[in-house]
Amino acid sequence: MAQPAVVAQLEAALGRDSVLSNPSELTVYEYDGSDEALAGSHRPDVVVLPQTAQQVQQVVKIARAMGMPVTARGGGTGLAGGAIAVQGGILVALTKMDRILEINTRDRYALVEPGLINLDLSQTTSRDGYFFAPDPSSQRACTIGGNVANNSGGPHCLKYGVTVNHILGLEVVLPDGELLWVGGPSPDVPGVDLTGILVGSEGTLGIVTKAMVRLTRSPEATDVLLAAFPSIEAASSAVSAIIAAGVLPTALEMMDALTITAVESAYHAGYPRDAAAVLLIEIDGLLEVVAENTRLISVICEQQEATEVRVASTQEERDLLWLGRKAALGAMGRLAPNYYLQDTVVPRTKLPVTLQRVEEISKDYKLPVANVFHAGDGNLHPLILFDRHKPGDIERVLHAGTEMIHWCIEVGGAVSGEHGIGLEKKDFLPLVFTTEDLAAMAGLKLSFDPLQLFNPEKVFPSGFSCGEVSALRQQALAARLGIDFV
Amino acid sequence: MTTAPSDAGSWPSNLMVDGLAVSKQATPESFDEVSEILRGANARGDAVIPFGGGTQLGLGNIPSAGDIALNLSKLDQVVIYEPDDLTISVQAGCRIDDLNGLLAEHGQMLPFEVARPQDATIGGAYATGISGPRRFGHGSMRDLVIGITAVSPSGEIARAGGMVVKNVSGYDMMRLHYGALGSMGVILQLNFKVLPKPPAQRTVVVRFGELSDAIEAALGVRESQLSPTAIVVLDEGGARAAGVDVAPWTLLLRAEGPEDAAAQQTARLREATRVGALGSDVLGDAATDALWRGANTLLSAAPEESGIGIRLGMPASQASEIAEQLLATTGGGSATRRLSLDFGNGLLFAQVGVDTEPIDELRTLWERVRTLGSHATLLTAPPDVKRDIDVFGAEPAGFGLMRALKQQFDPSGTLNRGRFIGRL
Repeated sequence: MAQPAVVAQLEAALGRDSVLSNPSELTVYEYDGSDEALAGSHRPDVVVLPQTAQQVQQVVKIARAMGMPVTARGGGTGLAGGAIAVQGGILVALTKMDRILEINTRDRYALVEPGLINLDLSQTTSRDGYFFAPDPSSQRACTIGGNVANNSGGPHCLKYGVTVNHILGLEVVLPDGELLWVGGPSPDVPGVDLTGILVGSEGTLGIVTKAMVRLTRSPEATDVLLAAFPSIEAASSAVSAIIAAGVLPTALEMMDALTITAVESAYHAGYPRDAAAVLLIEIDGLLEVVAENTRLISVICEQQEATEVRVASTQEERDLLWLGRKAALGAMGRLAPNYYLQDTVVPRTKLPVTLQRVEEISKDYKLPVANVFHAGDGNLHPLILFDRHKPGDIERVLHAGTEMIHWCIEVGGAVSGEHGIGLEKKDFLPLVFTTEDLAAMAGLKLSFDPLQLFNPEKVFPSGFSCGEVSALRQQALAARLGIDFV
Repeated sequence: MTTAPSDAGSWPSNLMVDGLAVSKQATPESFDEVSEILRGANARGDAVIPFGGGTQLGLGNIPSAGDIALNLSKLDQVVIYEPDDLTISVQAGCRIDDLNGLLAEHGQMLPFEVARPQDATIGGAYATGISGPRRFGHGSMRDLVIGITAVSPSGEIARAGGMVVKNVSGYDMMRLHYGALGSMGVILQLNFKVLPKPPAQRTVVVRFGELSDAIEAALGVRESQLSPTAIVVLDEGGARAAGVDVAPWTLLLRAEGPEDAAAQQTARLREATRVGALGSDVLGDAATDALWRGANTLLSAAPEESGIGIRLGMPASQASEIAEQLLATTGGGSATRRLSLDFGNGLLFAQVGVDTEPIDELRTLWERVRTLGSHATLLTAPPDVKRDIDVFGAEPAGFGLMRALKQQFDPSGTLNRGRFIGRL
């Protein structure tokens, strides 16, 4: 429970309607898109719903004066517990700040508020022939601010790159309460690349109050290919062959038989039910380039034993094929009450052997695993299916997930490709990074947030204290800034 | 040869930075040696100036001290290259042309453009953060970097990112060092995603008499669904640098892709840029490479004795206005001028030289020009022009944070003392 004095100050700053402190109102903010049994949950002391950057600034100043942690939240769709207020404190829900402030097609940017839903932006700009490229599967519910925090990806980032490649500038409230604008419409603003540093920092360095995002010109032509394969191995070989042929599709996604079953039961997207795996491949660009690459990729798939290659050229056909992919996670309910989703990435040549390993782990732990993922990037999304009410399931799921992560790191991969580290994956970081590596990252944190009030206990492993590793530096900093550390 | 900073007297040569002679030079051959040199310098309070190919030493404020020149050109190994993963990990001293030579053997490339790719190193290019027009189609170093190894002035080596093309594990420390002139740490190794090399490339060269016609054509292409990988307008001086027929204004459009597609796009680009044009040509594969190497000399940040180089942020909607004002400012008498308007990315590069009484004229020119665009960097200038000014333009928003970062990552000011923005 928040102290009444804090609530009163927040209400004075934001208005009564924008401050929630009643336990029943706080309940929905205990979770995000991560599985509660795995990432945990925590009730914030108070939730605020600011409507302006100045209100966010006031909230941060109040929090700082009271020494309260501050956790920012967008759509709450994050899968790693990044928006959970682990230490309580103030949760800043940015969903009321959801306006598009400016669309400038000549300079190819849109200026938007952080609570804007990702898909709403592209739907608005598509009228002028432009789109915002990052397209996480949660794009109907996730926010631009959340995309910035997690450096989100999506199927189309194979060609277009991830969120950091599409953020030109940011307005942020820093942990000391300063409102700051970084970046701008032209690249390479002199000085430290603060925009780049802030993207992907998971709300630990600043709270975004406006984002200047790059708009990408819609392509002249788009084809979507659906290729069905008799085995996972054949589909993996096709992925490698396409990449090796020097053709970089816009998206290159794989779904296995279990996923196809779930998706077909729920949405009837038209995937062949008898396939062991399908590839969903999008190619876009100039008419003549698309025609040429579609032909080339079809031939490669056929050489790799594809039993069927279908080309969708109309918008309706393409949308239906994509619906199945984008809604795959939602369809998992057809197979099991719960799933645990990993987000590891491996070098692309390690994909076939990694998929084999995932299958072995699935058998070892007697847990079904559905695979639906960004094959072109080597970004796996094994969904371990379970029932949290079945005794022992959670422990087995955690063990199976840990084994998968260990394997991926061993073959040169990473802990998370696009979902973030948050709470849920932070203890895996020492598998990849040394204390020296983490200490350098801690230096970044301390430069922005010496009091460590923004999204505490995230990103860094449990027991790793940013303060301790840099205690001396911190003292020097405190002396310079005239800050007393609590 | 490895030379420890302690045995003075055996230093091979003096490095000059903005008129300051750096008496000692160290050329480490391993990361541990770099660590050791830095640790020693840091403890003694010596100022270290890291450099790679030495091609962009004109960039930066005049150093307030320079005791050791840290030559990284011997750290030039390719550490990991697995062509089928489309990733590469290279040491900082690797030269950009050498790297692309290796990649080309496997039909791949890193599309980075700098002024002298035969000499410039990957670490130096990353630290200076100057990118050419082709990033419009393929991305810049900032877009393609996936991992970094850097060493702090106290000698700790830290990595971030990795060897996969998508990664959100931990903070992206790559961002801290991009364009930071080696002032937050010395870059030892960089990892990139590489791209398939397009089978064919052409350049459409369109000549115009009027700047306004050239700008209209450039904006028209940019807003169309055609997909050139670079859109640049050059003035006469720029055209000479690129080695094309000189016209008052020249629009360059680079088309890359499968052979037939490149040819067809070329035809469409010519058609789309006819209005107001004096004529156009199409250059083939080899000529395209040569042309852009020439044009990219305008990105140079090499030390200058009688001229200046400027980079401005140029949002497309303001291109006309910025260009007209720049012309009015640089039109005078003895000045030679080379201009490149990068419409794809929204940047303008200008080189201006003068014959007589250069200092005051150049300084006045910079003062007039630096507020024209959305941001300004004086890429190179004679030391007398640089004195008392910040070559990175006005103190930016967030300078307090940059100072805090410098304090955190180089508290003794060992690295490039006084050279970075705000004399950090």
